[in-house]
Amino acid sequence: MILIGENINIMSKVIGGAIKEKNPKPIQDLARAEAEAGMDYLDLNIGPARKAGDELMTWVVNTIQEVTDKPLSLDTTNPMAMEAGLKANKSKSLINSISLVRMEEELPLVKKYNADFIGLLWGREGMPRDASERAVIAADLMYKANEMGIANDSIWFDPIVTPVVNVEASQVKPCLEFMSFLEDVVPGCKSAVGLSNVSNGAPTHLRPWLNRTYLMMLMKYGLHAAIVDAFDTDLIKIANGERPELLSLVHHIMDGEKPDYASLSEEEAKYAKTVRVLTGESLYSHSWLEL
Amino acid sequence: MAIEIPKTTYTGKIKEIKLGKDEKAVVVGGESCYPFYLFEGEMPHLPRIAMEVYDSPPEEWPEAALEPFAGITDDPAAWARKCIDDYGAEMLCLQLASTDPNGLDRGAKEAAEVVKKVADAVDVPLIVWGTANHDKDVEVFRKVTEVCHGKNLIIGPVEEGDHKQLGAAAIGYQHTVAASTPIDINLAKQLNILLGNLGVPDELIVMDPTVSGIGYGIEYAYSVMERMRMAALTQQDDKLQFPIICNIAKEVWKAKEAQISEKDDPTMGDAKKRGVLLEAMSAMCLLIAGADVLIMRHPEAIKLVKDMMAELTAA
Repeated sequence: MILIGENINIMSKVIGGAIKEKNPKPIQDLARAEAEAGMDYLDLNIGPARKAGDELMTWVVNTIQEVTDKPLSLDTTNPMAMEAGLKANKSKSLINSISLVRMEEELPLVKKYNADFIGLLWGREGMPRDASERAVIAADLMYKANEMGIANDSIWFDPIVTPVVNVEASQVKPCLEFMSFLEDVVPGCKSAVGLSNVSNGAPTHLRPWLNRTYLMMLMKYGLHAAIVDAFDTDLIKIANGERPELLSLVHHIMDGEKPDYASLSEEEAKYAKTVRVLTGESLYSHSWLEL
Repeated sequence: MAIEIPKTTYTGKIKEIKLGKDEKAVVVGGESCYPFYLFEGEMPHLPRIAMEVYDSPPEEWPEAALEPFAGITDDPAAWARKCIDDYGAEMLCLQLASTDPNGLDRGAKEAAEVVKKVADAVDVPLIVWGTANHDKDVEVFRKVTEVCHGKNLIIGPVEEGDHKQLGAAAIGYQHTVAASTPIDINLAKQLNILLGNLGVPDELIVMDPTVSGIGYGIEYAYSVMERMRMAALTQQDDKLQFPIICNIAKEVWKAKEAQISEKDDPTMGDAKKRGVLLEAMSAMCLLIAGADVLIMRHPEAIKLVKDMMAELTAA
């Protein structure tokens, strides 16, 4: 699986400050550390970058290219900044992201710079309500991209991960369902998720349990890429296939097997409980691991 | 061809909680089906209505709400007796409005004396409701729980911010807590877990999901209560298998639609009828969402709701 490090983000105090002051060191240190941690791509989230976004993105890309040749995922909602980043980036670019709403203006960039892009399954009327609506949006995006000569393997569909804390609006089930028929609906296309969003709002020290468990659930359907916390070493092991026993446990529970807590290790029991919270079988609360 | 009516499979049951003491104690909860789905399961104890009594004369009640209690609103014990003797109240709720730091800010000692006086004057289960100001409620309930040891009060709102102090006081002096959360099912579950961790036994817990009246977001309360019952009854979520208490009267009667007189706005129609119906209909919505205890105000609204319950449960 392709892992995209999420940590270079303007929302972080250190990185936000460094970007503002054009101070390369903290950004380069973090880029190096992410690369060493095993990330395949680095996500550069510079936010909406309304003021001089093009100049800003060029500087960030060049700053990072001085210390690593990892491919970059360019993450901004400013199209000028996006194009500047594509121009400056010497390695393969991943555009993060394009949705139906602005595809007319943004898809040409994919072609022009021979990039890949994350196709965000956000509909014209907002969040899709189920897996079928995601399929319709994906097909629309794919047809439009094909018309412009973009091949399916450049499209990474993001079914949109939402926080489990907000139970009623949880998208876990529709996301998994969409993943299960992605290959039939948009053959040859890939998938990518912003994984950490699933644990947004949960206590910080417990977030990795939700992130890792959800990753394993998505792996059941062959997830291609995930934007992740580069420093969650257990998560990286899982993504690299080094925890097959956990993967099998999670997938069995997804298939309806009741976890036998007495026979599980403490670690396994935590993953089992987290699967049940994510599927909605057990209602989320901050103490879900203690129950 | 015969039509097969689909049936919900229930795997859980609401806990039966005894409120109050001695002969007039009531048991609430025990449902093994959705509210009034008597064709699918049982509701061994019908929901109860607690009549409101205020610890100081209400200042902003419309005429229609004051009229049934005319002449006694400055005497909480007499007010409480009237609810029982004249209106047949089977539970009471004493609202400690005068302790509000933004209002009269009456002290803990004085408040506790009023509670004790009311508790001594009645034999039905007594709910005592604070102002949701954590510091003040802790101060007041420390005293109240102590002087009313043995009265088996129901105290609320017990929120995440003061659950440790109020929970400890409830355990120490044997009172029930109304675990209160702001219209959020995850937080409701979490607070019940925290109370359990603190050592509050299940039989001393009821849940207050925070409700509002018709026109003021009652649908949110409805959804949260509905989801609570789904988790409790079909997902064996034992942290949500508690009876639900709804403090609805004050939400209804403070609304403009209940307050405004016919003289000030003739298009609104008769003020009394309007207020009574708003209260009864709001209460009814909460009953079919899963309420086990309703805190209500107007005797005529209460009668309407009781009639409705009788019809819904008639054999």
